[in-house]
Amino acid sequence: MDVSNRWIALLGSAVVSWTVVTALIVTDAARSHAQEPQAQSLGLQFHTFVDSRGVTVLSPTVDLGQDFTDRTGLRVGFGVDAITAASDSCARCHAEGASNSRQFVNASIIRSYGDTKLSVGGEYSHENFYQATTVSTSITRSLNQANTTVAGGYSFSWNRPQLHPDEIVENQASQSAYATLTQTLSKNTIVQLGYELGYITGYQSNPFLRTTVDGVKMVGVHPDERMRHALTARLRQALPADTYFEADFRRYFDDWDVNANTWSVGLSKEFSPRFTLSGIFRRHGQAGAYFYQPFYTGSPQYYTADFRLFPFDSNLVTGRAIFTPHDGMLMFPAGTSLTAQYEFYKSTTNFEAGIFTLGVRMPMPHR
Amino acid sequence: MMRTITRALAILALMAIGASATACATVQPWQRARLSKTCMQFSPDPALTAFAGHWQESREGAAGGLGLQGGGCGCK
Repeated sequence: MDVSNRWIALLGSAVVSWTVVTALIVTDAARSHAQEPQAQSLGLQFHTFVDSRGVTVLSPTVDLGQDFTDRTGLRVGFGVDAITAASDSCARCHAEGASNSRQFVNASIIRSYGDTKLSVGGEYSHENFYQATTVSTSITRSLNQANTTVAGGYSFSWNRPQLHPDEIVENQASQSAYATLTQTLSKNTIVQLGYELGYITGYQSNPFLRTTVDGVKMVGVHPDERMRHALTARLRQALPADTYFEADFRRYFDDWDVNANTWSVGLSKEFSPRFTLSGIFRRHGQAGAYFYQPFYTGSPQYYTADFRLFPFDSNLVTGRAIFTPHDGMLMFPAGTSLTAQYEFYKSTTNFEAGIFTLGVRMPMPHR
Repeated sequence: MMRTITRALAILALMAIGASATACATVQPWQRARLSKTCMQFSPDPALTAFAGHWQESREGAAGGLGLQGGGCGCK
């Protein structure tokens, strides 16, 4: 499947849709004041995902940040994933493919208490055969004249996959907690260390992917408990000539024996205060789950056809351009930024994907 | 379970040690011009970060570490 050919057709519709939506909203937002903080903003993005299985996902998203007082702010977001020619798990029964769509909405309230920020929020998402409801909270504390920031958070998700084509609905509970430490090392260097712990219980098999057990195709059976750990180390370094270096590393491990190292490096160049180009390379390598086998014999307790539990490596290349128009240019309010991003993903499981994003972020007036 | 908790506590202890070791580094507000640039932020556009996390989680079994996990999706 040639990813780039499908791209050309999609790109036209993506640009038209994005332009229409932007034009409708910018008319109102153009009345806003100049040079507002990033948090006070309206963001619109249009993502297009095309992969080598023939799956296309169009994802428009909207997010809004609005501070109501000096201490209280609201963040809301809404998005849709419109999926056509659905994945190979669908193709097993629907030769022509099957469309799906996922909608999500989220909201959070942020309250400041001096150098401490507290946030409470939630998200609900719905699609065919899957629902997820999440509540989360986080706290951020700035220390040492804002040179040190410690943050922590917790989330709980209640997920309900339906075992299509059956009507049975299973339950899954997912909890996640994290802590991060961000430290300014110099006027050109900042680092962040993080740790995240995840714990999932309940149904975790994939009801749509089948593997071979004694020559018979069967839906996989996974353990119903999983403990996940992720350690991260991140660096941002300003270089001479308005150039910026970034490096991230993540070490992941869990009690299903999925171990992974993921690292990325990138370089950004500010060609002018209004135009920045970035290039990022990401490498991911993971070991398979302890119960993964290409096929099974005998009576295994667990078996899987979930490609996310296979051993594989992947590369991701990202190119991004950010343009800040002159005040009033193209009807955009001062401080608006336009983003265009292309990503190419390739894994050793013979999977390729191209992801294109167009986005606009406009400042919102203070109340 | 005990091993997991011990690991988690050890990691948090390491982070606390790291915090205390670097706490003496002080950059004054008027020296922060470059630090405040968008390119120096870890998640300059949270919406882009969230979308990347969403599609990467649908392809890789080793998600997490860059913010709170949501409920996932059935998009596999």
